Amino acid sequence: MIELKNIQKKFGERTVINDVSANMEAGKCNLIIGASGSGKTVLMKCMVGLYVPDSGEILYHGDDFNKMNDEGKKEIRKEIGMLFQGSALFDSLTVEQNIMFPLNMFTRDTTKAKQKRVNEVLDRVNLNDSNKKFPAELSGGMKKRVGIARAIVLNPKYLFCDEPNSGLDPQTSLVIDRLIKEITDEYKITTIVNTHDMNSVMEVGDHIIYMYEGLKEWEGSNKEIIFSKNERLNEFIFASEFLKDAKDMRMLEQTGKIDNDRNMEDLVK
Amino acid sequence: MIKGMFSRPENGKMYWKELMHQCSEIGIGSLGIVVIISLFMGAVSALQTAYQLVSPLVPLTAIAQVVRDTVILEFAPTLVCIVLAGVVGSKIASELGNMRVSEQIDALEIMGINTKAYLIMPKVLACMITIPLLVVLSMVLGIIGGRFAVVLSGIMSYDTFDRGLIEGFLAYNVFFALVKAYTFSYITASIPAYYGYYVQGGALEIGRASTKAVVVSCVAILFADYILAALLLKSPLSQ
Repeated sequence: MIELKNIQKKFGERTVINDVSANMEAGKCNLIIGASGSGKTVLMKCMVGLYVPDSGEILYHGDDFNKMNDEGKKEIRKEIGMLFQGSALFDSLTVEQNIMFPLNMFTRDTTKAKQKRVNEVLDRVNLNDSNKKFPAELSGGMKKRVGIARAIVLNPKYLFCDEPNSGLDPQTSLVIDRLIKEITDEYKITTIVNTHDMNSVMEVGDHIIYMYEGLKEWEGSNKEIIFSKNERLNEFIFASEFLKDAKDMRMLEQTGKIDNDRNMEDLVK
Repeated sequence: MIKGMFSRPENGKMYWKELMHQCSEIGIGSLGIVVIISLFMGAVSALQTAYQLVSPLVPLTAIAQVVRDTVILEFAPTLVCIVLAGVVGSKIASELGNMRVSEQIDALEIMGINTKAYLIMPKVLACMITIPLLVVLSMVLGIIGGRFAVVLSGIMSYDTFDRGLIEGFLAYNVFFALVKAYTFSYITASIPAYYGYYVQGGALEIGRASTKAVVVSCVAILFADYILAALLLKSPLSQ
């Protein structure tokens, strides 16, 4: 489990993360949601050690990551896999070489064993015939899948995904969301996903943290989020009329009434 | 940044592979431009020296001596390194800058790899291995270029030029040129690596960092050239 205790991070005079405490539930899909600039990417980068928080603790197995020595940090990082917003694949390497890179660096397996593992993860992300392609030859969705394959190739305990759906069409986004959820359940890893896509929230979110201007505004499950009374959260998740309708329809179905002043008759029509 | 480059490699074999890759990229990749520059540099310096030394009191072999010493002392190490600061320096800065901006460096960090050691150290070492070799090649080719130029333009024969090359040759000059080559090769790799590694922003900033890296490297090379000349070359005329 990853515990965050009173994390604060400033860039110059601007406080980007303000006293955030949270627990990332083990073996579940934890989502950090919020509008652009709300601090979710900075919070994730603090968690993986790319940024050092100004104050607070990030505990892996109860030990503060930022107080560990270099060897301790390396050991934790071997348990982490990360999918970046832009996939961050190495341009000069093929798909196969990209995925094999962590294996080459950290294992002493034979080439045959490494090749087998690469094929396994490529098969897992449904990319069987792209081994020899370069990142420039792949579509956005394929790049994300290669990024996921590279992130899971060393069997990590934690999978971090920064905006996995950015730049993808809704259908491909759904494929990526389902893949992340399946991998989380199948490999029993703790997944942390940054997103502002509400489809992702409903599709994969077991545990959700809503960030607003650097503060943790709300925390709960994807079942609770629809009925939340938090105004800022509601403004965020029901930003579109379609989603407002969907919420009210669902509320109408479940409770027989809508607890706002919208015209029910129009909605039912 | 330099301090961060020294750490135990996560996997020596991968670091060695990266070093060999960089040696090939920097050394073999720059071979063509070094050959062309060196041949023409020697040829032009020979023709210009012959143009200026018109006194019947100065023997023709003096032209070969001037070409030899200017090529070895200045043209081969300094000019070649300035050109390489442009060619190799901009490549290093833009490669690292692109890796930084596209989060590839972050991806390596998260894997637990010391990115300064894995990405910068092989580039610096590759420069320090291959650039002095290119400078030695440049010395040879510069002299060959000068030799062909004076003979083809009918100024002197091969024999006269070769006699001039041997007369008054100081091995110390080659040592001095190699000291310069090692110093400049370190500058050529480390300054662009710094600008590339710490770039922030997007494509525009990568371009800016690359340009700045080349300019700063060139100025640093010229400054180091002056310092080394002042320290290592003692003129008999100086007090």
